[in-house]
Amino acid sequence: MSAVSPLAITLESIATCFEGVLPSSVCTCSAEGTPNVTFLSIVHRIDSQHVALSNQFFNKTHENIVQNPFVQVVVISTSNLRQYRLDLRYERTETEGAVFDQMKTRLDAVASQTGMSQVFHLHGVNIFLVLDCRPMNAETGGEGLLKADYLSPIEEFTARLAACGGLESVINTSLDALSALFGYDHSFLMVPDEEAKRLFTLGSRGFAQSGVGSETWIGEGILGIAAERHEVVRTTSFGRDVTYSNAIRSGVRSRGEDSLLEREIALPGLSKVQSQLVVPLVAHDRLFGVLCLQSAAVGRFLSDDERVVRIVSRQMAASMALLERIESAEPGSIGQSERATQPTGASTIRHYKADDSIFIDDAYLIKGIAGRILWKLLQSYTLNGRVDFTNKEIRLDTSLQLPDFKDNLEARLILLRRRLKDRCDFVNLTQAGRGHFHLEVGRQLALEEMP
Amino acid sequence: MANRQPTSISDELKTLIEGPVSVVVGTRDSRLVPEITRAWGPRVSEDRQSVSLCVPLATSRKTLDNLEANGQIAVVFCLPTNYRTCQVKGRHAKAAEPDSTDLAIVERHRDAFAEVTAPLGQPREIIEAFWRAEIETSAQLVKIFFVPEQVFDQTPGPGAGRKL
Repeated sequence: MSAVSPLAITLESIATCFEGVLPSSVCTCSAEGTPNVTFLSIVHRIDSQHVALSNQFFNKTHENIVQNPFVQVVVISTSNLRQYRLDLRYERTETEGAVFDQMKTRLDAVASQTGMSQVFHLHGVNIFLVLDCRPMNAETGGEGLLKADYLSPIEEFTARLAACGGLESVINTSLDALSALFGYDHSFLMVPDEEAKRLFTLGSRGFAQSGVGSETWIGEGILGIAAERHEVVRTTSFGRDVTYSNAIRSGVRSRGEDSLLEREIALPGLSKVQSQLVVPLVAHDRLFGVLCLQSAAVGRFLSDDERVVRIVSRQMAASMALLERIESAEPGSIGQSERATQPTGASTIRHYKADDSIFIDDAYLIKGIAGRILWKLLQSYTLNGRVDFTNKEIRLDTSLQLPDFKDNLEARLILLRRRLKDRCDFVNLTQAGRGHFHLEVGRQLALEEMP
Repeated sequence: MANRQPTSISDELKTLIEGPVSVVVGTRDSRLVPEITRAWGPRVSEDRQSVSLCVPLATSRKTLDNLEANGQIAVVFCLPTNYRTCQVKGRHAKAAEPDSTDLAIVERHRDAFAEVTAPLGQPREIIEAFWRAEIETSAQLVKIFFVPEQVFDQTPGPGAGRKL
């Protein structure tokens, strides 16, 4: 290939044009000389000389570039609202590799979220050499954007993270720091369940409802697909697409599991999400969780934000992996078990064996493993007055039937603590040093076992 | 380019073309290198046999050269509220200076476009700033007329590209 001369306007200098915030247009021409013009949701910047366009429907654009490789696209900067013309020459179509995988994940995730999985398929990614890049008007230059200083807040983030001694503090510290240091004010964190089939929410910031305990299927929707493929999914203009919870709920309905819905906690989320950044927390090639950032503004998370969040997510995942190892070496006995203090008032707590759901005075609290653990603790409390427990005894308690292939106990206990905090003011679980926790009960409890 | 005869614009298509749509014009030069420009104020003639639209002179010089040289034109109209999109391909007829009625139509079109895009997450001031950026750099408009020959449904999806 002949050497390519540098572009008058570099692609780097108009980076916001390639974020998919404002639609681009593309014009091709058949061998016969008939032009074809269409809109594109995004032009991807691959490197300083190449861009990529997705091919979803084997359309006229694709047909034309095979006949005649010359293409023009017009992109719009979100920072100065100027338009730029790019003259391109078609080079090749990729159907595998990193660029293809990332575009496919993003397409599949949005399709799954909007119930369009049967419709959207990425057939290939067309790669183009950029021959020229110039403003629509000759006098306009690049965007002239100043690079934000990300180094200092990243350093501060890792410093705060390094001071964390447990999973709960990793989650709290990270979500607080994402807001305070980077201005990512709406965030939540989900972790995989014991069977790696679902994700459940352990912490959130900036939403009307905390959503702690809410679940979603791995492999479905934006969160589920990012988790399954260990890929980042970033949307910059979600527009009128169906809201988060509706899509998830309809996914549940399509499984014929309607009965689950009444015991579902709604996912945290802004009602009008425009921008979303979903980053899997991966260490040692294992999924430790998914971090989701949201914004009601179009184009809130750009490629630099994605890089920053990739860095902090790797740090978070590494911390979570390390803590898991320390956890398993925790102390097993407690010096002295305190007796419960005398409570006032009375409440009924029901446990439904079918799904281990717990209802406190008819209000749903939690189900599954966390429900089973709470039921065990409350039985121990009402029978023996015990209020101090260790992680190890829970882990070794065969009656709880905890899966031994994945130790998720700490995450389950955090979930339980958060749900109790959200929903119940007279039963409280507090951490009492590493591997120990304390049960506080402020009322007379009547336990009822249900089928 | 067999079977390309003038075709008339249906009522439904006229409504779309003259609605609050995003309009982009595609042409090509003698080497088949494509050229894009944005257009405003599209209007369908009373006899439904031609369409006119205005393009900014400063950003459309090559487009105008291409039209004069070979007449080949493709114009896409997209309604941002539901992505209903059609592409009309045809032959350039003439270029003229827009009169005050044409300019008023352009103003109304820009206004209506901003109106419908605002609820989609693009604040009105952004859309306004976008066309102001265009007006600032190219205040002068040229009105072009073309004769439609082929109409395609280009609403995104597997059916995109279907000839109407």
